[in-house]
Amino acid sequence: MSAALVPLASLSQIERTPSGEDGLPADLEDDLKAFGCKLIHQAGILLKQKQVAVATAQILFHRFWFVTSMKQFGIGDVGMGALYLASKLEECPLRMRDLINVYDLLLQRATHTLALHSSPNANPDFKYAPMSYFGTTFYDLKDALVVAEMQILKRLGFNVHVVLPYGTLVNYLRVLGLTSREDACTRAWGYLNDALQTPVYALYAIPTIVSAAILLTTRHLHISLPSTPPNCWWDLFDAAWEDVWCVCGYIMRLYRDRDMVERVRVVGMVGKKEVRRWLEENVAEQ
Amino acid sequence: MNYIQLEKLGEGTYATVYKGRSRTTNEIVALKEIHLDAEEGTPSTAIREISLMKELKHVNIVRLHDVIHTETKLVLIFEYCEQDLKKYMDQHGDRGALDPNTVRSFMYQLLKGTSFCHENRVLHRDLKPQNLLINKKGELKLGDFGLARAFGVPVNTFSNEVVTLWYRAPDVLLGSRTYSTSIDVWSCGCIFAEMISGVPLFRGRDNQDQLLHIMRIIGTPDDRALRKLAQDSPEITIKQYPRYPKISFQQVLPKASPQAIDLLENLLQFDPSKRISATDALLHPYFTGTVSTIPYGMNAPPGSMPPPPYNYPHPHAHHHQQQPQQQQQAYVHAQPGMGQQPHMGPPTMGQPNMGQPNMGQPNMYAHQDAARYSQAAQAMAQAQAQAQAQAQAAHAQGLAQAQAQAGYGGYAPQYGQGGR
Repeated sequence: MSAALVPLASLSQIERTPSGEDGLPADLEDDLKAFGCKLIHQAGILLKQKQVAVATAQILFHRFWFVTSMKQFGIGDVGMGALYLASKLEECPLRMRDLINVYDLLLQRATHTLALHSSPNANPDFKYAPMSYFGTTFYDLKDALVVAEMQILKRLGFNVHVVLPYGTLVNYLRVLGLTSREDACTRAWGYLNDALQTPVYALYAIPTIVSAAILLTTRHLHISLPSTPPNCWWDLFDAAWEDVWCVCGYIMRLYRDRDMVERVRVVGMVGKKEVRRWLEENVAEQ
Repeated sequence: MNYIQLEKLGEGTYATVYKGRSRTTNEIVALKEIHLDAEEGTPSTAIREISLMKELKHVNIVRLHDVIHTETKLVLIFEYCEQDLKKYMDQHGDRGALDPNTVRSFMYQLLKGTSFCHENRVLHRDLKPQNLLINKKGELKLGDFGLARAFGVPVNTFSNEVVTLWYRAPDVLLGSRTYSTSIDVWSCGCIFAEMISGVPLFRGRDNQDQLLHIMRIIGTPDDRALRKLAQDSPEITIKQYPRYPKISFQQVLPKASPQAIDLLENLLQFDPSKRISATDALLHPYFTGTVSTIPYGMNAPPGSMPPPPYNYPHPHAHHHQQQPQQQQQAYVHAQPGMGQQPHMGPPTMGQPNMGQPNMGQPNMYAHQDAARYSQAAQAMAQAQAQAQAQAQAAHAQGLAQAQAQAGYGGYAPQYGQGGR
């Protein structure tokens, strides 16, 4: 079973992430990761990429930040590299130029939306300005993409095997007799997808994450399942309550309302240069 | 670099292979140099080969010792093997045909390596004589995992562009994208026949012609069988085919023993669900029966020593398997900049060897008997049982992960810094 064993971050890697060591606050790091994953997801949709490749990319993206600081690589480049790599792994390769164009569009649009909020007299219509075909922007982005892909491979030691949660969810819903509740299935599936924006897939085994999605679902929909020891449904799936609860916390924190300052901050820190600048301005170094 | 580059051994589409010698141990190795292309980044063949082969440690699989990553190229350091099966057959065979003892030994090792891949959820997808390497100890090893991929549950759809034409399974030729381990088993069957006769069994010019070559020997499946195939993998297209009757393999391969013919029959089933698994094939009487009952050796020189027929893997193999178990695989922590630490390889890659129960038991199959074989064959015949087993495996995987969780912490530091 060795090939099927998925790498998870070690305790020390969790306690002290490389970005955290560089002074990045944990909530900001989480927000940046979530934004990076949203970009991957949006790019995947625009490129009509298979969901398995998109999900794989997001998981590789999260693993990467347990071995690398955002001071060294930006979430934009790494997200692009992860999607490019995952598409090769899932045998649905992307054209570099398509991927680069889509990322360029997404970033321009994010910047535009921000500008609207910060300055009321900005033009409300978004107009995409395509890069020139042979321009340096393209070649710079292409270099960044190749480097990002290689760095992901290298820093993860080519451990690019990823297990997705969907099959497990279907099994568990069947075991729990929930397949007739369409609302429950959809909601649980949605939590699993949203969880891709959090680091949980690099921290916990699939059964734990799937149990968390089911727990959130049943709580929200007031579906009762045996939950008093010694008859706890999650025991069926070898998930520990503390872990399941912790995953739920990661997912629910995604839905916390962010104020404008927080939202602007994230969009402005897609590149490593901006992260470095933020650190210089905000972290009082000794 | 820790290796001295010696003469060039060969050139492929995306890599050049050199002989090399380790500066530290003087060991002879094969260096596979992959040039990194700015147009497509790291080639997917290289990604597959590294990510899968570093997991597969077995005597019958070429060992990936190390990976050196520089800005312009990627060098894979493999164990060195003298030649491939194709060249071996040309040099040592009688017009390509190998003597029965050698065929049996190679076939056993081929199935052993294939079975190990499958147990570890890896499909090779390009088994052919050119990709099977033979060293001077007579060990056969699966190489070139550039087309290989990991498979899981549920079955994904895979690329249809796999396996060199002559060794490609009929279901793949029909367009299947949901194939599984049975596609490697078909290739094993083709290689088996080729070792016996010295020539490839099915030599088609293109996809369609290949299919007809197959049908001309194993017969055109009847309509019901074809409909079942289409039902099992809906993406395939069934056309009208000429009705060929089945020719007995004994007629095609007059030199082969009855047991060899029976095994071949099981390997080359048109319907992938009826094909024997590599693991079960190892229990076939062709391997387990006593030597004297097999009427081979007609053209072997009198008094020649048969090669050790089926006591592979190599007796020293299990040394490698006895690494300390690691339950948690942490990520490699590397330093920034590719040039600064160009070195990484399986020992530092954080590669756990989960102490597979099926490894390092050189003689377990010596005790197999016919009863066990028939049992196994029955089990195999039930595709559903297989599906169930897969589901169980998926559950077991969940368990393994849960265990990995429980044991975490404290393993990480040993990866990052070591050996830089």
